[in-house]
Amino acid sequence: MGRAKIKRGSTNVDMTAMCDVAFLLLSFFILTGQFKPSEAVEVNPPNSVSNTHAPQKDAFLVSIDKDNRVFLNLTDDIKGDIWDELVAEKNMKVTSEDKKDFVATDFVGVPFSQLLQFIKISPEQQKNVKMPGIPTDSTNNELQAWISAAATAGTGKKLNFLIKGDNATKYPAFSSVIDAFKKNDIYKYNLVTNAEDVPEGTALYEESIRAQHEGK
Amino acid sequence: MAEMEVKSGGGHKGPGVKKSKKLSTRVDLTPMVDLGFLLITFFIFTTTLAEPTAMNLNMPKDTDKPDEVNKVKESGSLTLMLGKSNVIYYYFGSDPTKMQTSGYKDLRKIILDKKKSTPADDLYIIIKPDKDATYKNAVDVLDEMTINDVKRYSMIDPTPEEYKLIQQTEAAGGVQ
Repeated sequence: MGRAKIKRGSTNVDMTAMCDVAFLLLSFFILTGQFKPSEAVEVNPPNSVSNTHAPQKDAFLVSIDKDNRVFLNLTDDIKGDIWDELVAEKNMKVTSEDKKDFVATDFVGVPFSQLLQFIKISPEQQKNVKMPGIPTDSTNNELQAWISAAATAGTGKKLNFLIKGDNATKYPAFSSVIDAFKKNDIYKYNLVTNAEDVPEGTALYEESIRAQHEGK
Repeated sequence: MAEMEVKSGGGHKGPGVKKSKKLSTRVDLTPMVDLGFLLITFFIFTTTLAEPTAMNLNMPKDTDKPDEVNKVKESGSLTLMLGKSNVIYYYFGSDPTKMQTSGYKDLRKIILDKKKSTPADDLYIIIKPDKDATYKNAVDVLDEMTINDVKRYSMIDPTPEEYKLIQQTEAAGGVQ
């Protein structure tokens, strides 16, 4: 009896299809993704159920890190105007070179006394500089001066005042930032948070369900 | 796909002509797949797909005029004081000495109970984060107002008496 010979299949798998998929995914992620914007310091905002997106335009972002230091982050569309206004208000002697340096700077976390020195450092190096934060105490409230410059420079535009605090930020630090805003008669802020699901069975949850039904 | 058909050129070569060996054109794609997936992981980790959200906060203007101050019915007020180590001290009405201790997990229940037992127009929640509360605590409580649809609430600093009371309780309870 001749036993049927089992044909030995090749173990060579054709990788072409897998390769295609991999590169398809790769191109998808490259095209849709945005790089994380460089941040002055690591700030982990708390979660909230709010579902509105943080505005990205005309944004005046005040970050407070876990050591209660205050940083300022301006979007490029308002940076130049705010600088001009600040220079005028503070009577600083600056050159057009300084303005260029300031626009290239991503974030500010130093008092005015060190500002001109700080913006001269190249943006790559600035991340390594240990920044003391912008003073917000009642005797020397420099954040207030920044806000006042921004409010004047942003006349006619709708500036978005964003506050981003870390989970571990102490409340007094946040309170002093709010006070600086209040002194400039600004009462509307956006608190940057991470999205979180609405807990089931609550008033807001039922409302969102209702809104969904009506939307259909 | 990855292999190409190569026609052997000379099918009918004369005798004595050496047959050229047909080389396989099959390329091993495994390293390329590896590289592909490595790049994918890299891009997934470095990009932010989820935009941060923003919570709106409107603060009132500070006023010294007594007639511009918000008036709160004592029966409808609930004061939440945010202390150290995620502890909440709360009391109803205007007597801080009757305050009770709680945590963030039970906060919703406290608010809902108060909401149920009070006419909607009278309900007023006063949030008083003290010096040791964190920013997260404040955001959590504000969030809780949105979640439970509380229309009237305000955020102010605790009075010195209240602060003292919190500190005494914390010292007695050994809260670090």
